[in-house]
Amino acid sequence: MESKSSTTGNRDNPNRNLHGSKTMMASHFLRALFRIQQTSTSSSSAGRSRRIRRAAYASMAYSAGTRRAWSRALLRKLRSRARLRFPRRLSRAATPQRRDMDQAQVLRKLVPGGPSMDDCKLLEETADYIRFLTTQVRLMQTVMDSISS
Amino acid sequence: MEMNEDRKFGLEKSHGDHLNNHSSGVSADWQFNTPAMSAAPPHPSTAASLVPPLTSSPLLSAPVPEAFVPGLWNYHTMSVGGSNIQNTTSAIGSIPIGRPVAMSSKGMLLSTPPVIFPPSLPHFPADSGFIERAARFSCLSGSSFMDMNLLRPSQSVAPARKASKVVMETQVQNTELSMTGDKAVSLPAAYGSIDQSRMDTQRDRRSSHISNSESQETNFCEGGQEGNVDSSDVAGNSSPSDLGANKRKRTIRDMEKDQVQRGPQSSSEATKDDTETKHKVEQNSSKHGGKNGKDNSEAAKEGYVHVRARRGQATNSHSLAERVRREKISERMKYLQELVPGCSKVTGKAVMLDEIINYVQSLQRQVEFLSMKLSAVNPQLDFSVERLLAKNLRHSHGSPLSIAGFSQEMSYPQVYPSQQGLGHAGGSTMVNLSDTYRRTMNTQLPTMSGYKEPSMQMHNPWNEEIIMQMDYDANHPPNAQEINRKPDGFTI
Repeated sequence: MESKSSTTGNRDNPNRNLHGSKTMMASHFLRALFRIQQTSTSSSSAGRSRRIRRAAYASMAYSAGTRRAWSRALLRKLRSRARLRFPRRLSRAATPQRRDMDQAQVLRKLVPGGPSMDDCKLLEETADYIRFLTTQVRLMQTVMDSISS
Repeated sequence: MEMNEDRKFGLEKSHGDHLNNHSSGVSADWQFNTPAMSAAPPHPSTAASLVPPLTSSPLLSAPVPEAFVPGLWNYHTMSVGGSNIQNTTSAIGSIPIGRPVAMSSKGMLLSTPPVIFPPSLPHFPADSGFIERAARFSCLSGSSFMDMNLLRPSQSVAPARKASKVVMETQVQNTELSMTGDKAVSLPAAYGSIDQSRMDTQRDRRSSHISNSESQETNFCEGGQEGNVDSSDVAGNSSPSDLGANKRKRTIRDMEKDQVQRGPQSSSEATKDDTETKHKVEQNSSKHGGKNGKDNSEAAKEGYVHVRARRGQATNSHSLAERVRREKISERMKYLQELVPGCSKVTGKAVMLDEIINYVQSLQRQVEFLSMKLSAVNPQLDFSVERLLAKNLRHSHGSPLSIAGFSQEMSYPQVYPSQQGLGHAGGSTMVNLSDTYRRTMNTQLPTMSGYKEPSMQMHNPWNEEIIMQMDYDANHPPNAQEINRKPDGFTI
């Protein structure tokens, strides 16, 4: 993935771009998983799950590299040891007017590094973020399946 | 005619042997020139005097960048003129051919390289055809010259003519443009780098226009070489393949859309000229003739993007910029639509954004949920990971030591007991993970920083068969089925 397509290539050749990132993501995540499992055999399950979640986002960010604004923001957050807080907003009934106004803001809160992007860039980053997120979710599901069966 | 051209092309291939080749196959005309060539040191003044007779001819050849093989240049200068040049053969003969004489309408001259290359062109094919061939020259690194040129001698003529005309127009307007216009034409691959970059920027500007208008040329050029999509001339994709790739992308995209995104323009007026030229050619496609003129100037001033205002739309720069922005956004929305499942039927930005937000939220929730599940399942992970590693590593080279390298955290004693347990475990179910590991190790380990794996190379020969063989459970069906059964998700 290191030498793979440029930013525009991301869009044009998603498969090509994601291939290398997948393996990198997988190895990073698995190693992190193993490390977590080794070091925290006695800790609470909640703490472990938080760590695993953090590892998941870390592997996402590492495999995405620094090409993307969202991955850079994510790496920054991880490095600063800040608590990985993600918006868990309860779905509220919102008036259409309000929803329209909020949409971009909501999206900005969801995507790391969102607030500092203009709309156009936000959509681009969202697309890339979604791709990596889906890959990460699938990876975790695969690990889950292979472990539990 | 063709024969001569072929010979000419053949000569192109070996720059160093130009003189020798030419001497062998030179026709009477050229031989006449040879003494003149050898005798003539680069003299811009003399060349200039000789240029005027040629200026009348629609010469593509623009001033040539410094580092340049004269032979190639001569070809273009000589042959580009087409029928006109043929008339002025004598004049050409008198010109010290060894120099890259800029036969542009402006009569620009460039410094001449020391090598004197007697072009062996007694005749001048139609300029358009030659232009295209010249373009092909530049694009090719010399190996496949002959093929390309021989391929379509006839096709090139008609469409290229148009291109050459367009090129001429732009050239007349802007000398600088004409300089680089011939772009790659004059540059052999060997000299490509420096001048290419310079030419590229200008080429970019023009390529869009030309390519739009000369879509036909691009079409028929495409088969032969990808790089020379743009008809022959100017747009000419550069000889270096990577530049060509960039141009290729651009030109193809140009053809597809009316609006083109271009790199920064060097001169606004050149742009204006370009847009006007492009506009002339695209008269048919534009819906509104009168307005377009204004639009062109507006678009030209816009700088970064060439946009044409549609009929009935405001043409001030603000609205144009906004339109560009809107189009960018809609383009990204379309891409997002593909990403988010079940959104192909959704139309409208608001609804789409809602869907996107929901999807991102659901993905993040899934990550949390799975991490919770993984933490609960985790106690088994140790065993499985060991198993995995042991299985993979052991089978690849039978050395337990490699395992230690892979998982530094793993305490050594743990490895052996797990190895014994290996045979009885449901190995096939770990195939997916082992696939992941295998591929990871094959592809990523060398590049990963903290990863010390002494016997990395051993992993490389792994392939599916090895994994397949790691089917400890005889009861289990072949692993292929297991793999197929696994969610598509993570097979890499």
